[in-house]
Amino acid sequence: MSDQDRKKFVITRFDPDRDDEPRKQTYEVPVEPYWKVLDALNFIKDEIDPTLSHRWSCRMAVCGSCGMLVNGKPSLTCKDALSDYGDTIEVEPLSNFPVIRDLVIDLDGFMEKLHGVRPWIIRAKQRAAEEGTYRQSPEELEQFRQFSMCINCMLCYAACPVVANEPAFIGPAAIALGHRYNLDSRDEGNAERNGIFRGEGTVFSCSYANECSEVCPKHVDPAAAVNQAKINAVIDWAASFVVPRGGGE
Amino acid sequence: MAGAAHPDAMQPSRPGRTRTARPQRPPQFPFRGRYAAYTLFDITGVLYLLVGFVALRVVWALGNGAAAWHEVQRELTHPSYVAFHVIALISVVFVGVRFFRLFPKAQPPRIGPVKPPPQPVILGFLYAVWIGVAGLMTAILAGGIS
Repeated sequence: MSDQDRKKFVITRFDPDRDDEPRKQTYEVPVEPYWKVLDALNFIKDEIDPTLSHRWSCRMAVCGSCGMLVNGKPSLTCKDALSDYGDTIEVEPLSNFPVIRDLVIDLDGFMEKLHGVRPWIIRAKQRAAEEGTYRQSPEELEQFRQFSMCINCMLCYAACPVVANEPAFIGPAAIALGHRYNLDSRDEGNAERNGIFRGEGTVFSCSYANECSEVCPKHVDPAAAVNQAKINAVIDWAASFVVPRGGGE
Repeated sequence: MAGAAHPDAMQPSRPGRTRTARPQRPPQFPFRGRYAAYTLFDITGVLYLLVGFVALRVVWALGNGAAAWHEVQRELTHPSYVAFHVIALISVVFVGVRFFRLFPKAQPPRIGPVKPPPQPVILGFLYAVWIGVAGLMTAILAGGIS
């Protein structure tokens, strides 16, 4: 390998059994021109330092496992080509998340927020199996399709300044997914979800930094979802005074 | 990294089995990269607070008679006030453009049977209204319309 084929990787390390705080460790890696950042991390893990911990799975920007900060920017490491970076590349765990080890973040907080927005089809009365499936036209699908593309990679959370400062904030991906079900013609859970959006961790905490949409690798545009959810939540709140809700206690 | 985020940021309600490192803020927040525009946008709130105080002072003078009104008018011609208003104007344009970029995509895809018009149409409408209102107010202040 020539000198041009070597890159320096400055990687954040954290061992909860030994380290009080995360530290930096530098590796020299012989790289191939077609490599992604993830390939270099896997090389380090396989050939240099087997103690390095990082998440990855599909290598095709579908599973959302390998999100990390690359030179300070939230990125899917399987998608980012090494050739787009200089000779020194800094890799850190995603910001705004507790770090379990090295580049691995704790996703449990997100899973709780996601569960909190009820990201599934809610029906007032479930249709019996013999009555057939819920039908949907292409136009109805188009209403929410964009927001269903989220792969839960957490880049949007890592980029959001509100998430950094307001622990209760539901956050971009969970709101986008909740909003996706609010737009689904088969769903009847709008009032319930809009109540959640107006409650603790409210969608109104979003002050439109728009960073979530800038870093989203799937072009979901969570900022649009959050701000549409704001308007929907207000309309739903106003409508609740004039339109009686079904069901009751 | 830029510094520590809120210690409870993205923490699960129950601690995990192992100790975790504290969450860190986005490295470029608040003044580097695209965050600079966002921070600047938020800081403009302070400017509008000051504009509000100036407006209150003018209204107060209006209630105190013609002499007070003319005095405050004279004060507003001071270069520092003029500079302040130029900064405020630039700020309004900055905030307006940023808001206009958000507004079209914040529209719900559908309200009942009604679909919003295409985003370029909404954007064009917003700018047309802005230019129209600004033109009307300029004409009134210049004495063209009384």
